Amino acid sequence: MEAVVKKYQQKYRKVKDEMGSWEELQARLLSQFSNASSIVQRLQVIHKSRNYGGLKCVEGIEGAVLAKQMESLQTILLSMNKTLEDFHGVVLSIEKIVCDSRQLVKGGSAQLATKQLKQQIGVKPSVADCLDGLRLLEEMHQSEYHLKLSVVSALPEIALKLSGGDGDLDALRQLLVDQPNIPREEVQLIFDMVFPEEIC
Amino acid sequence: MEPRESHFQSPIVTKPPFFTPQQSSSPSSAPAPSSAIRLWKPAAQRNVRNQWSKLLALFQDWCSSSSSARSHAISLVNSFLSQKYMNGMDLGVLSDMPNIRTKACQKLFKQQELYRCKLLSCYKDMVAIVTRMVNSSRSMRCYLKGSRTSPLAQFSCSSQNDNDSGDAGGIPVFTFWSIAAFEELASEVVQMFTSELNLKRLLVLELLSISDERVLQEIELHWSDEFYEGEFDDLSTCNLYLEEACEPVFPSLRSSRSSTSSMQSKHQADSDVLQVYLTTWLAEVNIDRCRLDEIFAIVGEEMHVNLS
Repeated sequence: MEAVVKKYQQKYRKVKDEMGSWEELQARLLSQFSNASSIVQRLQVIHKSRNYGGLKCVEGIEGAVLAKQMESLQTILLSMNKTLEDFHGVVLSIEKIVCDSRQLVKGGSAQLATKQLKQQIGVKPSVADCLDGLRLLEEMHQSEYHLKLSVVSALPEIALKLSGGDGDLDALRQLLVDQPNIPREEVQLIFDMVFPEEIC
Repeated sequence: MEPRESHFQSPIVTKPPFFTPQQSSSPSSAPAPSSAIRLWKPAAQRNVRNQWSKLLALFQDWCSSSSSARSHAISLVNSFLSQKYMNGMDLGVLSDMPNIRTKACQKLFKQQELYRCKLLSCYKDMVAIVTRMVNSSRSMRCYLKGSRTSPLAQFSCSSQNDNDSGDAGGIPVFTFWSIAAFEELASEVVQMFTSELNLKRLLVLELLSISDERVLQEIELHWSDEFYEGEFDDLSTCNLYLEEACEPVFPSLRSSRSSTSSMQSKHQADSDVLQVYLTTWLAEVNIDRCRLDEIFAIVGEEMHVNLS
């Protein structure tokens, strides 16, 4: 029984690694988002020719500046989509780990009885708890990935509106920062449960 | 030996209608003897490689100067706006301090002076960079120095002989391209930077001119003024100075060659306008990065070096 729990702990370590890459991607996405939103905010100002002051006498300058900024925005959006793909990769890896961990119970030499699954030895978690925790982590990351997808897909629309998107942008940024589907305390509780010996 | 001989005499040699017209009207002026060609090639290759790696390094210098200029411009604008809105600012507990607003304004004014100097010095660097680019793009040719029959062949960047066009009659320098083809691409690169420099000069003028209405500015800057000593010499090298009018060429976009109406003077510098200036500085509308990367890539490929 203890051996099975040990194996689960290994799975959790793998998930932890994946969550590490998730954090890196999160930092990358946030910086890309702030670059994109500073362009989006500028768009409102640069598409009005009355804001060109001394540049007004350079023919076609408004169109050229606007086109260049749109181009940069496009590039940033593409790289954001690339980041999202990488997020998806992390989600897939976690799914794979969880799927493998189910096999630990089902495919083992002896089918574990429900009673065994719930059996707890000392501070060690039960196998059922380990399974639940993994599934929870998987769900959190799946939902958060879908949330990020919809946030990023909302950006071009705000950019096209060209007016008063500031509030929207702030709200979206906050959503990205908060990661509401991955509550930190809950994640910590799961890991504390699986690695009781590491709590100090 | 035979096929090469016939190759450089053939009129198919790529010679774009570019640069000095008197040369393209009489192509392949007196093909040099094959021994001279043999000696010319390595010297010409070395020179073309050098000039192109200089162009690349200058492009990188441009990027760093342009970005530090932009950060000085941002600081200048921020300082100016703080000064402008000083009266409306809520200073909290500090508002009881005697003359706090006046002192703060004086400080901000001094700061702006500093940022103006820094911005101007970056602009100066950029002019120098573009001037060097222009010179590089014009130094692609490689001329035979001394007598043609001399056993010791030497080469130089300037022609000593009217018959020597410095391109060995338009033969390929490496594999396919003649000197003229390299020159044409170099001039495309240089044109992006000269027109951007020209636009940035206007931005520098506008940014240096922002000042609080309450503070009398002693020297008002005009487009026709020389921003620093020697600027006009460099601008003439870059073909950005009109000798007859005694003022720099007025900026226009690379895409539209029509010259525009005269400048208006003194603009209201509100924060939106200043933001547009800063964005225009960043956008580098005359520089097509994709095309630039493409040019450096294909030139590098032709020269068998990696320009990136």
